[in-house]
Amino acid sequence: MDNRLKHDALIEDALNAHPLAPMPRSITPNVMARIQKDMRPGLITWNDFALSLVIALCVGALIFTVQSLPPILLAKLRIEGILLYQYFLVNARWLVPSLFFSIAAFLAALTIPTLIQMTTNRQR
Amino acid sequence: MSDNETTLIQKAQKGNHDAFAALVDEHQRYVYNLALRVVKDENEALDLTQETFVRAWTALPNFKGQSQFRTWLYRIVTNLCYNRLPNLRRSLNDLGDDVMEDIPETKFNTPADEFESNETRRHLHQAIENLDESYRLLISLRYQNELSYDEIAATLNLPLGTVKTGIFRAKAQLRNALAPLEESWTTA
Repeated sequence: MDNRLKHDALIEDALNAHPLAPMPRSITPNVMARIQKDMRPGLITWNDFALSLVIALCVGALIFTVQSLPPILLAKLRIEGILLYQYFLVNARWLVPSLFFSIAAFLAALTIPTLIQMTTNRQR
Repeated sequence: MSDNETTLIQKAQKGNHDAFAALVDEHQRYVYNLALRVVKDENEALDLTQETFVRAWTALPNFKGQSQFRTWLYRIVTNLCYNRLPNLRRSLNDLGDDVMEDIPETKFNTPADEFESNETRRHLHQAIENLDESYRLLISLRYQNELSYDEIAATLNLPLGTVKTGIFRAKAQLRNALAPLEESWTTA
């Protein structure tokens, strides 16, 4: 057997024969005590409730604000909106394709981790 | 995964504590040893093992059986090890993947070499303990927990080439550790 092969075989033997260390004590009682104390989180957690409450309050506040505005102010806002839109069409038309391109680039960037994952899985 | 284990997992997913205790009994030694090889401290390894099973209990309803239960546990414990050893993840990623060929795993059990083998084994076991933490993790998953290269790659979320490179380099370090011992053989 040549030297390199002998070394490889010795290393392989040592790796395969490396013994498992004994457990100093069983951890089962501790684990069971902890899982009986800590409840498993349900499908919907308190965080989900809190977040949905905040979103609902924001939406409610927006609707309430719009409805309580005086009609004259609403009409002015609508006119300002139309003027802004017209101004945009005349002076900043280039922004439309730029905006679409940015959104497309952003969405494409979101797929990069998945693509990397797929490539890695294919290599495996 | 045996039928018995599948049944235990299903029962534990529904909240059966006895079934989960049986799973803990079955797997704790392997999880503990993996943690011990990486962190090299008994108390810390016990703590990590306990935390692994508590997290496994919490996440068990999401376990869909796409991987083996044991590899799922190893993934949890390695993630906990990453938290304890921030350099571990980085050193694994820095391994690169320059070794892409299959690594031969030769067997050595000829009786004439038995004495030399026992002496060398002790020396090599010491050398394994002295490897870098990333190499110790890879070697433990491969030889102690008996995962395939693919399973290690999936467990650590690393490319297969990186896993092979890591194990190849770990073995190269062990080969270097043999050099002084070989000198003593030749002088004897």
